[in-house]
Parts: sequence; structure tokens; C-alpha cells
Amino acid sequence: MGMRMVYLLPQLVSDAADHDPDQLAFVCRDSTLTYGELEQRSNALAHALIARGVQRGDRVGVFANKSVETGVAMYGIMAAGGAYVPLDPTSPPSRLAYVIQDCGIHHVIAENRQRPTVTGLEKLGVKLDTVIGLTDADIAYPAMGWDEIGSRGEAPRRRVMEQDLCYVLYTSGSTGVPKGIMHTHRSALSWAYVTASEYSIGDDDILSNYAPIHFDLSTLDFFGGAKGRATVVMIPEEHMKLAASLASVLEQSQITLFYTVPRALVQLSTPGVLDQRDFSSLTRILFGGEPMPLKHLHSLMRKLPGTRFYNVYGPTEVNGVTHYEVPGPPPVDGDALPIGVPYDNVEALVLDEEDDPVPQGEVGELAIRSATAMRGYWGRPDLNKRAFYFRDRFDGIPEVFHRTGDLVHQDRDGVYNFHGRKDRQVKSRGYRVELDEVEAVLVTHIDVVEAAAYGVPTQDGTTEIHAAVTLTRASASTPSTLRTYLAETLPAYAVPTTLTVLEDFPRTATGKIDRRRIAEGNKALSTSGERS
Amino acid sequence: MSEGDLRQGLREFISHELLMDETAVLDDDQELLLDGTIDSLGATRLVGHIEGTWSIKIPPEDVTVENFRTIATMAGYVERRVVDGSGP
Repeated sequence: MGMRMVYLLPQLVSDAADHDPDQLAFVCRDSTLTYGELEQRSNALAHALIARGVQRGDRVGVFANKSVETGVAMYGIMAAGGAYVPLDPTSPPSRLAYVIQDCGIHHVIAENRQRPTVTGLEKLGVKLDTVIGLTDADIAYPAMGWDEIGSRGEAPRRRVMEQDLCYVLYTSGSTGVPKGIMHTHRSALSWAYVTASEYSIGDDDILSNYAPIHFDLSTLDFFGGAKGRATVVMIPEEHMKLAASLASVLEQSQITLFYTVPRALVQLSTPGVLDQRDFSSLTRILFGGEPMPLKHLHSLMRKLPGTRFYNVYGPTEVNGVTHYEVPGPPPVDGDALPIGVPYDNVEALVLDEEDDPVPQGEVGELAIRSATAMRGYWGRPDLNKRAFYFRDRFDGIPEVFHRTGDLVHQDRDGVYNFHGRKDRQVKSRGYRVELDEVEAVLVTHIDVVEAAAYGVPTQDGTTEIHAAVTLTRASASTPSTLRTYLAETLPAYAVPTTLTVLEDFPRTATGKIDRRRIAEGNKALSTSGERS
Repeated sequence: MSEGDLRQGLREFISHELLMDETAVLDDDQELLLDGTIDSLGATRLVGHIEGTWSIKIPPEDVTVENFRTIATMAGYVERRVVDGSGP
């Protein structure tokens, strides 16, 4: 066979299928799908979508938990020339309706379990042309069951380019209105090449898929995995919630590369969870999305001495852009992990308030130029205006950087260090305080499992710092002993005025600590006796 | 204490405390972890509640999908631990 250009994501699947059609692509619960079956079924779905009116560039919703059909849906939509838009099954119907209407979605692929919600969408005034995966008997929308898809296995002939959209991920904006981040075949394929090469993903690898598809971590699993012709084991939602079950899936599936959030690693480091298990296959653990508490990383690295650990950094807008391989169990009271060095083919700038590059060593906003960067925000010219930094280069033809909104500094060795979100820096009593630093110090306390610090505007126009913590079961700490502990390290103006103990933290749809809900919950509880 | 009492106790805790909805209808065989009724926060609270109410210590390796997927499996687990005396 002659050389074939690969510039679209579904071509990764057909390449893997050409190479070995019987290689497993996806495993989820009791179901498996080979690359040959994935290619055949996603192409058949693409023909059905085209027959139902899906045009190049159309956005198609995927409303499903983890299953091998979810993988078929993603690739089928892209093979039809469309872009997949994950609809989070745990979202309230009003948010789903917002995403569907905001993104102009007319076709949805839904799993049977979501039938009641699909019915509810109609009551919210949502109009859809087709729902695939359900039958007309179930719902009021025109529908098509999986058994009606047919079996045309060849790829549809449709002009699609690498600059075309391939997925749109909705994330919570700081104002609470979700915003759609548009990625193209070019940006996603670039990410697949970066990850397959940096982490040596090959056909003897078994990747986990921990993150649900509405969370950008999933793109490394799916696309880096397909680039490496690896097998991807989707970890069922129910197993992600309980540490012992998560550990047993990782062990029994013989996962070789686990990409996850710090929260999951904190769960796994709970005493007893990893004992008497064999993780000799697990050679790489990647984590990202939030800062990793060092004491949990320390204990996990001691329990898994044969595993390499990487801190992966990058907002959803740019995929991953830097990483840091943790050289060994870090000191538990040491500085936060660096975000490391940019991947090859990524350029980083650190900008001051006037958009001028800062001298090396100084803190500024990180701006990124990379083939993995998004096209922009769907339907949000206001955000797009702020999102990019243009560096004039060739007589009016600018180089485009994405502003991350993250504060960093670059040390003498060229390694980048994270200083929190630009909007996570508050002025308290006239001083600039990094809320992430307050959290990092809290987590160094032996009794603290996780911490969340947030600013609360006061009537006199300043900002008070509040914090909440979760404690170990054996903890004897109180808010007042914790504040005394903080005062030993932090300047007085950075010590939270209020500290609350919670049983556990509310999470966002992507599993991050939901500081907004903690703040709202604590406002409602403001007379509770648990506060100091 | 019968298994029926156990199930009733679990059902009340989940509807009143986790869902904050006393009118919630929960089937004994409903997949509570899969359908999102119980998230990881809920699971932690549920374990604490069971330990406090039925005076057992649940080791982390027992907090599994097999034991906690439905009200029926939870009640079965708690009963084994309480009745069999395979306690802490």
C-alpha cells in the first residue's frame, strides 16, 4: 500500500484497522470492540448520520456514559464530517438544553439510560431532528435504534479538512455560563502525535480512559491511544467513585498508562487501597487538571516504585502543553510541583499586564502557541477577543498565542512553575494573595486531606479569604488549630478569616473541587458552630 | 434487626441526607452509583453513616461497586458484617 496522508482523526482508526483489525480498540465492562469493528461501525453510523441530514461542520451531541458505543459515536460523527459535542449525563436538563441550543445541535446520539432526560428535553422546548440509539416508541423525537444503522463499512466520501471542527467541549465559565471550546482535527491530531511520542504509546499498551468524554483528559486516552494502536479500557463511572473498585479495574485490566486527576490519586493513596495488588504493568501515571497534593503523591510513589509519574499541564483550550516528570517521591512540605517544560513544537511566553514579556524568573500570564490550540470559543466573540495574543512577525501577519489566564514563572533551568489562575489572585487588606498557595499550605498539615480557599467580597470593597478543608478520619484538628498552623507559614493577611470543616467537597462535572458551591454552601451555613 | 429495616434505614439516609428529597422514590435494585444518585462525596458520607449507625468499621477495600451498587447489595453487606460478627 502506498503512503497515505493522515490529517483526520478517523484515519487513525482506519490505519490501526489496516495494521491489525483484531487488535482491541475499546473495552468497557463486558463489551469489547476491535479496531476493525470500530472502523466498520463508526463508518456505518456516519452513513446513517449523513442520510439523516448531517452536513460537514454540524455539531452532533453524544449523550452517554462510558460504553464502547460512545467510542463508535465519536468516530462516527467525525467520519460524517461533523463535530461531536459531549452532553454530560450528570448535568441538569436546563444545562443540557442550554448546550444543545447554544451549539445549534440538531442530532443527538443517546444511550438508552438517558431516555427519561431526552423526554424531559422536549418539555424544555428543545427541538431535535434525530435521536440515534433510541426508538420512536420511546420518545417524541424522530429516532433510530442502533439495529437500524446498517452495515456500510467504507468511509463516506466527504470533503473534510484538518482545519474542520472535530469536537466542541463545554466547560464552566467563571460567570457560570458554559462556553464551548472548539477543536479541530488538526489540534486533536497534533495532541495525539505529541502524547503517543512523549509517552511512547504503542500497540502493546493498555490505556485507561478515566475522564468522561466531556472532560478534555479523555482526548489523550482516545486519540493518543488510537495513534499508538493501543487498547483503551474505559473505566465505568460506578468504579470511579470508589477507591477500591478503581484500584481493582486498574489491576485486573493490566493498565499500562493511567491518565487521571489528582483527586483519583488521592483516593488511591488511602491506606489499604493498593495493598496486596499487583501493579507491575502500570509503568506511567499522568495527572493534570488541578495541583497535586504532595503528601499523597509521596505515599503513592513509594507504593508504586516502578511507575513514572508526570504532571501534565494545559487548559482545555490548548490541550496539554507542558509536563514535568516527578523525579522521585517529593518532600511532603516542599514547593508545589512545577508544570515543567513545553512539549516539542510548543512555544511559551510569559506576559505582564501590558502584554510585554517579563524578564526570566518573574511571574506573568502564560501564553501558548501550539498546533494543539483550539480554534476559539463557539459563538463568543467577546471571549475570543480576549483569548488570543497576537505577536506581529511578518509585516502584519501575526503569530497567534492563546492566553491561558494562568500565572507562571520560569526558573533558571527553563522549567515553568504554576502560580494559580490570574483570577485566583485576590487582594486582601491591600496585599496580593494567591489562593492556591493558601490551599497548598493547608494540605501540608497531617490531618488535612484536601483544601479549598476562596475570596469573599466584603461590603467595604475588600476581599476576605475563606477556606474549607476535609480531614482524615483520625483527625483531632479544629478550625482554630489549623489557623494557628497556617499562621506559622503564611503572613497574617493570607490566613483565612473563616475556616470550615466539611465531610467532603462538592465537585464540578469534571471532578474538580467546586469552590463556588463550597462558598455558597458556607454562606448558607454562616451561623454554624463549626467555624472559628 | 431485619434486612428490611436495614434497607429502610439506607433508603431514608440516601433520600433525606444525600438527595435532600424526602419524596424521592428509590428502588432496592436501582444502580445508585451508575445513575449518579451517589457520587464520591455521597459514598464517603454513606460509609460514615453506616459505620455510625450499625457500629461497624468498613475497611477501604470493602468500599467496592459490588457492595455499594444498590440498596440491596449495601444491606446484604451490612447484614453480613453485623450478623456474622465479621466485624472490626
